[in-house]
Amino acid sequence: MAKKSLLVIVRHSPYGSSLARSSLEVALTAATYEQTVGVLFMGDGVLHLLSDQDSSHIGARNIARLIASFPLYDLETLYVDGAARSRHGLESMPLPDNIRSVDSNAMQQLFCDYDHLLGF
Amino acid sequence: MVLHSLSAAPGSNAYRDCLQLLGKGDALLLLADGVYAALADTQAYLDILNSGAELYLLQPDAAAAGILNDTGERITPVDFDAFAELTERFVKQQAWY
Repeated sequence: MAKKSLLVIVRHSPYGSSLARSSLEVALTAATYEQTVGVLFMGDGVLHLLSDQDSSHIGARNIARLIASFPLYDLETLYVDGAARSRHGLESMPLPDNIRSVDSNAMQQLFCDYDHLLGF
Repeated sequence: MVLHSLSAAPGSNAYRDCLQLLGKGDALLLLADGVYAALADTQAYLDILNSGAELYLLQPDAAAAGILNDTGERITPVDFDAFAELTERFVKQQAWY
């Protein structure tokens, strides 16, 4: 199978709909098939990166833990929309090591660099 | 070089996120509630205009919204055939909704 790079764009909040889980599952599936995958958290999608998530009382899987498992699937290229982080007051919150903060120009460059875009 | 499609109104997160990524060489197609960004004399229209992207408007949706006579001059109304042609010209697409 030819390798194509895929950028998964996560723009919605984590527990409000099934979009979040779907987007992350697509990213994991593509990575499992050894495709080059990047994940960009932008807009409300940056809320996925809050570290103290506890979804045990709402019958949903813990999204933060799912993201923490990404390196096990060699999914290590993650980006976060820096402006959206500050809009949500998350600037001082530590980011996992494998996540790079990007501005608008850098995000435009990502859209150019990846072969495929998949927006959620 | 990305074809962006926007289907949410100018007050939405989708509009804001879309604007952040729009650039020269890209195209933007407004459809569904996204058509309201085509209204002339609005900040929403000026902002997409200033992005430098080519601007298109899905005519049936704009007609439904009642805005066909009030759109900015630099936006091109398209039918579904022309929409399909855009998807052929741009390999990469991003839907903002």
